[in-house]
Amino acid sequence: MDDSDEALMARVARGDEAAYRNLSRRHVPAMLGLARRILGNAADAEDAVQEAMLRVWTHAPRWQPLAAFRTWLTRIVVNLCLDRKRRAPWVELEAAGEIVDPAPDAAEQAEQSERDRLVAKATAELPARQRAAIVLTYGDGMSNAQVAEILDTTVSAVETLLVRAKQNLRRALDSTGEEDG
Amino acid sequence: MTNQQFPEQLDAALKRTMQAQPADPAAVDRVLARLGGPLPRQKIPLWRLPAVLLDWQFAPAWPRVAALAACAVLGFYVGIAGLDRRFDHLDGRFTAAANADLGSIVFEPETLTGARP
Repeated sequence: MDDSDEALMARVARGDEAAYRNLSRRHVPAMLGLARRILGNAADAEDAVQEAMLRVWTHAPRWQPLAAFRTWLTRIVVNLCLDRKRRAPWVELEAAGEIVDPAPDAAEQAEQSERDRLVAKATAELPARQRAAIVLTYGDGMSNAQVAEILDTTVSAVETLLVRAKQNLRRALDSTGEEDG
Repeated sequence: MTNQQFPEQLDAALKRTMQAQPADPAAVDRVLARLGGPLPRQKIPLWRLPAVLLDWQFAPAWPRVAALAACAVLGFYVGIAGLDRRFDHLDGRFTAAANADLGSIVFEPETLTGARP
Protein backbone atom coordinates (compact mmCIF):
# COMPACT_ATOMS: atom_id res chain seq x y z
CA MET A 1 0.00 0.00 0.00
CA ASP A 2 1.28 3.50 -0.88
CA ASP A 3 2.05 5.24 2.38
CA SER A 4 3.39 8.52 1.01
CA ASP A 5 2.11 11.70 2.66
CA GLU A 6 -0.09 12.46 -0.33
CA ALA A 7 -1.63 8.97 -0.36
CA LEU A 8 -2.32 9.19 3.37
CA MET A 9 -3.89 12.62 2.90
CA ALA A 10 -6.19 11.23 0.23
CA ARG A 11 -7.38 8.66 2.77
CA VAL A 12 -7.68 11.32 5.50
CA ALA A 13 -9.87 13.34 3.11
CA ARG A 14 -12.26 10.36 3.07
CA GLY A 15 -12.35 10.36 6.88
CA ASP A 16 -9.80 7.60 7.53
CA GLU A 17 -8.70 8.16 11.15
CA ALA A 18 -5.97 5.49 11.04
CA ALA A 19 -4.28 7.30 8.13
CA TYR A 20 -4.56 10.54 10.09
CA ARG A 21 -2.87 9.03 13.16
CA ASN A 22 -0.13 7.64 10.94
CA LEU A 23 0.43 11.07 9.39
CA SER A 24 0.47 12.70 12.84
CA ARG A 25 3.08 10.27 14.18
CA ARG A 26 5.24 11.00 11.15
CA HIS A 27 5.15 14.82 11.27
CA VAL A 28 4.45 15.93 14.85
CA PRO A 29 8.08 15.59 16.08
CA ALA A 30 9.54 17.81 13.33
CA MET A 31 6.69 20.32 13.58
CA LEU A 32 7.17 20.55 17.35
CA GLY A 33 10.84 21.39 16.80
CA LEU A 34 9.96 24.04 14.24
CA ALA A 35 7.23 25.63 16.38
CA ARG A 36 9.48 25.64 19.41
CA ARG A 37 12.24 27.45 17.52
CA ILE A 38 9.81 30.08 16.25
CA LEU A 39 7.89 30.53 19.49
CA GLY A 40 10.76 29.92 21.92
CA ASN A 41 8.36 28.18 24.26
CA ALA A 42 7.64 24.45 24.53
CA ALA A 43 4.07 24.71 25.87
CA ASP A 44 2.98 27.15 23.15
CA ALA A 45 4.68 24.98 20.54
CA GLU A 46 2.63 21.95 21.65
CA ASP A 47 -0.60 23.95 21.43
CA ALA A 48 0.29 25.31 17.99
CA VAL A 49 1.17 21.87 16.59
CA GLN A 50 -1.98 20.31 18.06
CA GLU A 51 -4.10 23.05 16.47
CA ALA A 52 -2.27 22.62 13.16
CA MET A 53 -2.86 18.87 13.11
CA LEU A 54 -6.55 19.37 13.91
CA ARG A 55 -6.76 21.78 10.98
CA VAL A 56 -5.19 19.13 8.80
CA TRP A 57 -8.04 16.79 9.78
CA THR A 58 -10.89 19.29 9.37
CA HIS A 59 -9.59 20.77 6.10
CA ALA A 60 -8.44 17.48 4.58
CA PRO A 61 -11.43 17.19 2.19
CA ARG A 62 -10.51 20.60 0.77
CA TRP A 63 -6.82 19.77 0.39
CA GLN A 64 -5.54 19.49 -3.17
CA PRO A 65 -2.09 18.08 -3.91
CA LEU A 66 -0.82 21.24 -5.61
CA ALA A 67 2.16 21.42 -3.23
CA ALA A 68 3.87 18.83 -1.06
CA PHE A 69 1.95 17.94 2.09
CA ARG A 70 4.99 18.83 4.20
CA THR A 71 5.07 22.36 2.73
CA TRP A 72 1.34 22.80 3.40
CA LEU A 73 1.68 21.59 6.99
CA THR A 74 4.73 23.79 7.60
CA ARG A 75 2.76 26.76 6.33
CA ILE A 76 -0.09 26.03 8.76
CA VAL A 77 2.32 25.66 11.69
CA VAL A 78 4.25 28.84 10.82
CA ASN A 79 1.04 30.85 10.40
CA LEU A 80 -0.29 29.64 13.75
CA CYS A 81 3.04 30.49 15.40
CA LEU A 82 2.99 33.99 13.86
CA ASP A 83 -0.59 34.47 15.11
CA ARG A 84 0.49 33.48 18.59
CA LYS A 85 3.46 35.81 18.47
CA ARG A 86 1.15 38.68 17.54
CA ARG A 87 -0.99 37.98 20.58
CA ALA A 88 1.71 37.23 23.14
CA PRO A 89 5.01 38.90 24.06
CA TRP A 90 8.33 37.26 23.20
CA VAL A 91 9.64 34.56 25.47
CA GLU A 92 13.33 33.89 25.39
CA LEU A 93 14.43 30.63 23.80
CA GLU A 94 14.80 28.17 26.66
CA ALA A 95 17.61 26.16 25.13
CA ALA A 96 19.64 29.12 24.01
CA GLY A 97 22.24 28.54 26.69
CA GLU A 98 25.04 26.13 26.14
CA ILE A 99 25.63 24.74 22.67
CA VAL A 100 28.57 22.40 22.58
CA ASP A 101 30.52 22.21 19.36
CA PRO A 102 33.70 20.17 18.87
CA ALA A 103 36.53 22.70 18.64
CA PRO A 104 40.23 22.08 19.11
CA ASP A 105 40.84 25.11 21.27
CA ALA A 106 39.03 25.52 24.59
CA ALA A 107 39.19 29.32 24.50
CA GLU A 108 37.85 29.42 20.97
CA GLN A 109 35.10 26.99 21.96
CA ALA A 110 34.12 29.18 24.90
CA GLU A 111 34.07 32.24 22.67
CA GLN A 112 31.90 30.43 20.13
CA SER A 113 29.47 29.29 22.84
CA GLU A 114 29.15 32.82 24.12
CA ARG A 115 28.61 34.12 20.57
CA ASP A 116 25.92 31.48 19.94
CA ARG A 117 24.17 32.40 23.17
CA LEU A 118 24.10 36.07 22.20
CA VAL A 119 22.90 35.26 18.67
CA ALA A 120 20.12 33.04 20.03
CA LYS A 121 19.09 35.78 22.45
CA ALA A 122 19.09 38.42 19.72
CA THR A 123 17.16 36.12 17.36
CA ALA A 124 14.48 35.64 20.01
CA GLU A 125 13.88 39.40 19.95
CA LEU A 126 13.45 39.68 16.17
CA PRO A 127 10.01 40.47 14.69
CA ALA A 128 7.95 37.32 14.12
CA ARG A 129 8.24 37.05 10.33
CA GLN A 130 11.97 37.79 10.34
CA ARG A 131 12.49 35.10 12.94
CA ALA A 132 10.38 32.61 11.00
CA ALA A 133 12.44 33.30 7.87
CA ILE A 134 15.67 32.77 9.82
CA VAL A 135 14.42 29.50 11.37
CA LEU A 136 13.24 28.09 8.04
CA THR A 137 16.40 29.16 6.18
CA TYR A 138 19.07 28.28 8.71
CA GLY A 139 17.30 25.67 10.80
CA ASP A 140 15.51 23.65 8.14
CA GLY A 141 17.87 24.54 5.27
CA MET A 142 15.04 25.67 3.00
CA SER A 143 15.61 27.71 -0.15
CA ASN A 144 14.24 31.24 -0.43
CA ALA A 145 11.58 29.95 -2.84
CA GLN A 146 10.37 27.36 -0.30
CA VAL A 147 10.34 29.96 2.49
CA ALA A 148 8.40 32.32 0.22
CA GLU A 149 5.79 29.62 -0.42
CA ILE A 150 5.40 28.91 3.28
CA LEU A 151 5.21 32.56 4.29
CA ASP A 152 2.89 33.24 1.34
CA THR A 153 5.10 35.96 -0.10
CA THR A 154 7.65 36.52 -2.86
CA VAL A 155 11.30 35.45 -3.02
CA SER A 156 12.46 39.06 -3.00
CA ALA A 157 10.36 39.73 0.11
CA VAL A 158 12.06 36.77 1.82
CA GLU A 159 15.46 38.15 0.85
CA THR A 160 14.46 41.50 2.33
CA LEU A 161 13.28 39.78 5.52
CA LEU A 162 16.63 37.98 5.86
CA VAL A 163 18.66 41.13 5.21
CA ARG A 164 16.64 43.09 7.76
CA ALA A 165 16.90 40.25 10.26
CA LYS A 166 20.68 40.22 9.93
CA GLN A 167 20.83 44.01 10.26
CA ASN A 168 18.74 43.80 13.43
CA LEU A 169 20.93 40.99 14.75
CA ARG A 170 24.07 43.00 14.06
CA ARG A 171 22.60 46.03 15.83
CA ALA A 172 21.56 43.91 18.81
CA LEU A 173 24.94 42.18 19.02
CA ASP A 174 26.80 45.50 18.72
CA SER A 175 24.75 47.01 21.54
CA THR A 176 25.35 43.89 23.67
CA GLY A 177 29.09 44.17 23.02
CA GLU A 178 29.06 47.83 24.03
CA GLU A 179 27.17 46.99 27.24
CA ASP A 180 29.65 44.22 28.05
CA GLY A 181 32.72 46.32 27.07
CA MET B 1 34.87 39.75 15.52
CA THR B 2 35.88 42.15 12.71
CA ASN B 3 33.53 43.67 10.13
CA GLN B 4 34.74 41.29 7.42
CA GLN B 5 34.36 38.22 9.61
CA PHE B 6 30.95 39.19 10.89
CA PRO B 7 28.68 37.90 8.06
CA GLU B 8 30.33 34.46 7.96
CA GLN B 9 30.42 34.11 11.71
CA LEU B 10 26.81 35.24 12.01
CA ASP B 11 25.77 32.68 9.38
CA ALA B 12 27.67 29.93 11.17
CA ALA B 13 26.19 30.92 14.54
CA LEU B 14 22.68 31.01 13.08
CA LYS B 15 23.12 27.54 11.58
CA ARG B 16 24.28 26.17 14.94
CA THR B 17 21.62 27.85 17.08
CA MET B 18 18.67 27.34 14.72
CA GLN B 19 19.43 23.76 13.71
CA ALA B 20 16.61 21.30 14.25
CA GLN B 21 17.04 19.37 17.48
CA PRO B 22 15.28 16.09 18.26
CA ALA B 23 11.88 16.83 19.76
CA ASP B 24 11.19 15.93 23.36
CA PRO B 25 9.55 12.45 23.24
CA ALA B 26 7.28 13.37 26.17
CA ALA B 27 6.03 16.44 24.29
CA VAL B 28 5.42 14.35 21.17
CA ASP B 29 3.48 11.80 23.23
CA ARG B 30 1.40 14.55 24.84
CA VAL B 31 0.43 16.03 21.46
CA LEU B 32 -0.35 12.61 19.96
CA ALA B 33 -2.43 11.70 23.03
CA ARG B 34 -4.43 14.92 22.68
CA LEU B 35 -5.00 14.14 19.01
CA GLY B 36 -6.06 10.61 19.93
CA GLY B 37 -9.48 11.67 21.26
CA PRO B 38 -12.63 12.06 19.19
CA LEU B 39 -11.86 14.18 16.15
CA PRO B 40 -14.02 17.15 15.06
CA ARG B 41 -16.21 17.02 11.99
CA GLN B 42 -14.44 17.51 8.69
CA LYS B 43 -15.35 20.47 6.48
CA ILE B 44 -16.69 19.20 3.18
CA PRO B 45 -16.33 21.67 0.29
CA LEU B 46 -19.49 22.62 -1.62
CA TRP B 47 -18.15 21.25 -4.90
CA ARG B 48 -18.02 17.79 -3.32
CA LEU B 49 -21.61 17.82 -2.04
CA PRO B 50 -23.19 16.26 -5.18
CA ALA B 51 -20.73 13.40 -4.95
CA VAL B 52 -21.57 12.91 -1.28
CA LEU B 53 -25.31 12.90 -1.99
CA LEU B 54 -24.92 10.42 -4.84
CA ASP B 55 -22.68 8.13 -2.80
CA TRP B 56 -24.82 5.13 -1.81
CA GLN B 57 -22.01 3.57 0.18
CA PHE B 58 -22.72 5.71 3.27
CA ALA B 59 -22.95 2.77 5.63
CA PRO B 60 -23.35 4.68 8.94
CA ALA B 61 -26.42 6.52 7.60
CA TRP B 62 -28.43 3.65 6.08
CA PRO B 63 -30.59 2.92 9.18
CA ARG B 64 -31.80 6.51 9.08
CA VAL B 65 -32.60 6.23 5.39
CA ALA B 66 -34.48 2.97 6.09
CA ALA B 67 -36.48 4.65 8.88
CA LEU B 68 -37.38 7.54 6.55
CA ALA B 69 -38.51 5.12 3.84
CA ALA B 70 -40.64 3.17 6.37
CA CYS B 71 -42.32 6.42 7.49
CA ALA B 72 -43.06 7.33 3.86
CA VAL B 73 -44.65 3.91 3.19
CA LEU B 74 -46.72 4.12 6.39
CA GLY B 75 -47.94 7.62 5.46
CA PHE B 76 -48.92 6.41 1.98
CA TYR B 77 -51.04 3.53 3.36
CA VAL B 78 -52.70 5.76 5.99
CA GLY B 79 -53.71 8.13 3.18
CA ILE B 80 -54.96 5.36 0.88
CA ALA B 81 -56.99 3.62 3.62
CA GLY B 82 -58.58 6.94 4.70
CA LEU B 83 -57.62 6.49 8.32
CA ASP B 84 -57.11 10.23 8.65
CA ARG B 85 -60.68 11.22 7.44
CA ARG B 86 -62.34 11.21 10.86
CA PHE B 87 -59.82 13.81 12.08
CA ASP B 88 -60.90 16.08 9.21
CA HIS B 89 -64.59 15.96 10.33
CA LEU B 90 -63.79 16.91 13.91
CA ASP B 91 -62.94 20.50 12.97
CA GLY B 92 -65.73 20.93 10.39
CA ARG B 93 -67.67 23.54 12.44
CA PHE B 94 -64.62 25.73 12.84
CA THR B 95 -64.02 25.55 9.12
CA ALA B 96 -67.58 26.78 8.38
CA ALA B 97 -67.29 29.67 10.86
CA ALA B 98 -63.97 30.64 9.42
CA ASN B 99 -65.43 30.69 5.88
CA ALA B 100 -68.33 33.00 6.98
CA ASP B 101 -65.95 35.37 8.71
CA LEU B 102 -63.80 35.53 5.69
CA GLY B 103 -66.68 36.82 3.53
CA SER B 104 -67.68 39.52 6.03
CA ILE B 105 -64.14 40.71 6.29
CA VAL B 106 -63.74 40.98 2.56
CA PHE B 107 -67.11 42.61 1.65
CA GLU B 108 -67.85 44.81 4.68
CA PRO B 109 -67.82 48.62 4.05
CA GLU B 110 -64.77 50.48 5.15
CA THR B 111 -65.37 51.88 8.67
CA LEU B 112 -64.27 55.52 8.25
CA THR B 113 -65.02 56.31 4.60
CA GLY B 114 -67.94 53.90 3.99
CA ALA B 115 -66.36 52.78 0.76
CA ARG B 116 -67.26 49.29 -0.46
CA PRO B 117 -64.69 47.01 -1.93
